[in-house]
Amino acid sequence: MSDLSHAVRISRMEKFYGAFHALKDINLEVGKGERVVICGPSGSGKSTLIRCINKLENHQSGSINVLGTELDDNLDNIDEIRRETGMVFQHFNLFPHMTILENCTLAPRLVRKQSQPDAEEIAMEYLTKVKIPDQAEKFPGQLSGGQQQRVAIARALCMKPEIMLFDEPTSALDPEMISEVLDVMIALANEGMTMICVTHEMGFARQVADRVVFMADGQVIEEAPPSEFFDRPRHDRTRAFLNQILGH
Amino acid sequence: MMVSILKQKTYRDATNQVLFVGAIALTVLTFTMVGRENLEAQGITSGFGFLERSTGWSISFSLIEYSTSDPYWKALWVGFLNTAFLGAVSLCLATVLGLIVGIMRVSGNAMAELVGASFVEIFRNVPLLLQVFFWYALLTALPPPRSGIDVFGVVFLSGRGTYLPGLNVTGEMVFLAVVALLAALAGVLWLKSSRRFARTSAKDKKRFTRSLLVGWVFLTIVLFWIGRIPDTPLLNLPYLKGLNFRDGIRVPPELLACIVGISIYGAAYIGEIIRAGFNAIGKGQTEAGLALGLSTWQIFTRIRLPLAIRAVLPTLTNQYVWLFKSTTIGIAVGFADFFMIVSISINQSGQTLELIAILMGGFLLVNYSLAWVLNRVNDAIKLKGNQLRM
Amino acid sequence: METVYREPTFVQSIRARYFSNLWDGAFTLAFASLVLWVVWNLFDWGVLNAVFSAENRDLCAHGSGGACWAVIDARWRLILFGLYPFEEQWRSAIACAVMVLVAGFSCVPFFWSARRLAGLWLSGFAVFYVLMRGGVFGLTPVFEQRWGGLSLTIFIFASVSLLGMPLAIAFALLRRSDLPWISRTMGVVIDTIRSLPLLTILFTFAIVVPFVLPDFLIGDKLYRVIVGYAIFFACYQAEIIRGGMQSLPAGQEEAAKALGMGCWYRIGYIVLPQAFRNALPPTINQFVITFKETTLVAIIGFFEILASGNAAYGTSEWNFAHVEVYAFVGMIFFVFVFALSRYGAYLERRLAVASR
Repeated sequence: MSDLSHAVRISRMEKFYGAFHALKDINLEVGKGERVVICGPSGSGKSTLIRCINKLENHQSGSINVLGTELDDNLDNIDEIRRETGMVFQHFNLFPHMTILENCTLAPRLVRKQSQPDAEEIAMEYLTKVKIPDQAEKFPGQLSGGQQQRVAIARALCMKPEIMLFDEPTSALDPEMISEVLDVMIALANEGMTMICVTHEMGFARQVADRVVFMADGQVIEEAPPSEFFDRPRHDRTRAFLNQILGH
Repeated sequence: MMVSILKQKTYRDATNQVLFVGAIALTVLTFTMVGRENLEAQGITSGFGFLERSTGWSISFSLIEYSTSDPYWKALWVGFLNTAFLGAVSLCLATVLGLIVGIMRVSGNAMAELVGASFVEIFRNVPLLLQVFFWYALLTALPPPRSGIDVFGVVFLSGRGTYLPGLNVTGEMVFLAVVALLAALAGVLWLKSSRRFARTSAKDKKRFTRSLLVGWVFLTIVLFWIGRIPDTPLLNLPYLKGLNFRDGIRVPPELLACIVGISIYGAAYIGEIIRAGFNAIGKGQTEAGLALGLSTWQIFTRIRLPLAIRAVLPTLTNQYVWLFKSTTIGIAVGFADFFMIVSISINQSGQTLELIAILMGGFLLVNYSLAWVLNRVNDAIKLKGNQLRM
Repeated sequence: METVYREPTFVQSIRARYFSNLWDGAFTLAFASLVLWVVWNLFDWGVLNAVFSAENRDLCAHGSGGACWAVIDARWRLILFGLYPFEEQWRSAIACAVMVLVAGFSCVPFFWSARRLAGLWLSGFAVFYVLMRGGVFGLTPVFEQRWGGLSLTIFIFASVSLLGMPLAIAFALLRRSDLPWISRTMGVVIDTIRSLPLLTILFTFAIVVPFVLPDFLIGDKLYRVIVGYAIFFACYQAEIIRGGMQSLPAGQEEAAKALGMGCWYRIGYIVLPQAFRNALPPTINQFVITFKETTLVAIIGFFEILASGNAAYGTSEWNFAHVEVYAFVGMIFFVFVFALSRYGAYLERRLAVASR
């Protein structure tokens, strides 16, 4: 498994919602340690794509291979992949009835079968890393949005995932809280974590991404390293999108 | 001058308030005065002195010792206990059954949803009184004890009552054990909600909760040991002797019909509330659980169920108060509940106003305390801080 | 290669809904056999082995193992009309049909304004009362003491609703008053009555109130009970209306004030219409409960449909047939209540779509 060159390999993947063709012929490969940013206009299918990688959405045809495990109907494979990928959501999705610490230790205890002291030690380590160790005994509702999203990142990291998926992690945040979350993500990138981020933060993309993928209408239109993507976009749609998002 | 005062808002407001409150006070006062006059004309002295007189009539079902020479206050107390007992048992059963039905309706299994939906529609759309009459007719039409129905040799059903196994322990000790349980639960609640323990860590609280409950179990064992009736086995199974059953606990059909009726009717309503609670939880928490690799069962028990219970508790509180009030239909099948004892007392003593006041006081007391306790539980477990609305 | 969308086949959708995994399949089979067992036994009892004709009474008295619908055949007039004079029972039937029609018409959007709804119900109720009571248009007078069965149930329900609704609006407005003493006193009254069981209130109005009222106010027992029930109904409904008012954005009343509308115009044209719209689902639920709980008057000695049902099997001739009578009366309630609650659920969905 360790000599695999790729973390995620998606080939000829198709996804439908009823009769709506949400994702068309997606081919995407993400290497180990690679940071990929997916962007595109809303409704382009980028969130759907990232949610297919840990099977929160089912795809109808084509294949998705994560760390050598094929995503198919086999429940063991799905469990395996969900253990190895962490996900951060737009709306944080913390468990509101548990303290921050309980949020972070629940899955390691139940899924990884860690003892409570071990799980708490690891959780405190990651909470320190996202700079909120002092909030461990509070409940999610008592924290600001930025703090909650950092907890959500720590919660995902506590499972020691190989790959981190970010689904618009800063879209629901007030502007002044965006940077505290991005700082944590940049630090994570600098440690060599494999990351797939759906985001509109182009500054973040320019700074840390190895590759930017642009999607529209359920298709991958263009993928390129950030310098090339931002300075010499090849497609008209990409140019139009960049003009809109950076133009003013 | 007069006009200008009438047009002034302050004066007008004050007048309105005085008039309104005055009118209500006057109505109540008139009623009491006229009532007294009418009753005194019949030779009945008002006041609560009659509570000390002995009743001279018997009560068909009582949780405590009661004889015809006991005073009125004791008869009323018997009725009150009967109502509280009926209410407590029915509410617990209704909750358990309602939880099962509610979970069936959100289980995702189409067949389970069908069964749950049929249960709710059938039992919610027929009046409770009719259901109680139905169960009562069914239970009294059971064969006589001699040919009663035997369920695994433990429970016996017959037209004269249902016989359950009991414990050979004195009533006082059982009562003490129940009080101890309530005290332990109150302690847990206090620990969770009082600001005094805001700084206590969650781990310490959990440890303390556990020791309280273990302590209760231990205390109960000790109490039962002290209170056991000598020379009898601890467990008391009913058996047929002659024409009737001996030992065990006899549940009269009136009580059982009320319990079955109220539990099922309540379960149909509670099931719907629970279902709504599950539907009110956002999809996000479930998805986060899936993304962390939790199993469907773990997500259900650790995340969805606790959140659903928190979401429905305020609605459930109203439902409980409403269900508790419905225990008064016991009178329809002749179960000696509080309302029935009060109406017999009115017939026998003529102290109408006082007894109605006692009746209302009793229900106000129970319902306000029920609501108060459940609101405290709600305060203790409700989600802390501001919740994101999606 | 072009992939096209395929509708899931019948087998696939069955599999997803009923047999998505081993446990799911086991549950499906268990519940399916439970349902089949219950349905088969009911069918066996209620149809296959049942006795339908009153002439065959002796057959079911000796246990045919099935339902004895003969009791309904013999006693349906008693159950539906109580002690209403035999040759006049057509009046009772028509009166009931009129009220059912009125209830049906109030589900038509055309009638959804306060004035039309009130007019519909009042005129329907007047027709009902004239038919039942008689004494005019050449109809023989039949006094309330002889009313019974379904028509008495409907009469109590309709008069409680007609009396209780205006009362509920008044209570809700008083409860929401800006004047602290008025709103607080009203709050205490509402909370107290709401925490008392309906049965005790009916009992109080039937038995106790004559003691405390001056003679000229006592009236007939039936009307006292209706007044008591209406007050109880109003206290519940007032809280529902208040909930509907509270969910109005504050801006609505402010906008009306800014337009110079007086207090009554604001309430009548802005607040109440929207509050009722918000409170429609719980209001229908309240009507459903009120209709079901009219059965409680049987306990204090009125001959409504449940009591007449009890009487129908109460004689030694039919005393074995209680299940059938309760099933029959239960079916009548079920039809009314199920229709009303389905309609409420439909409205709720409709309102949810409209407010999106």
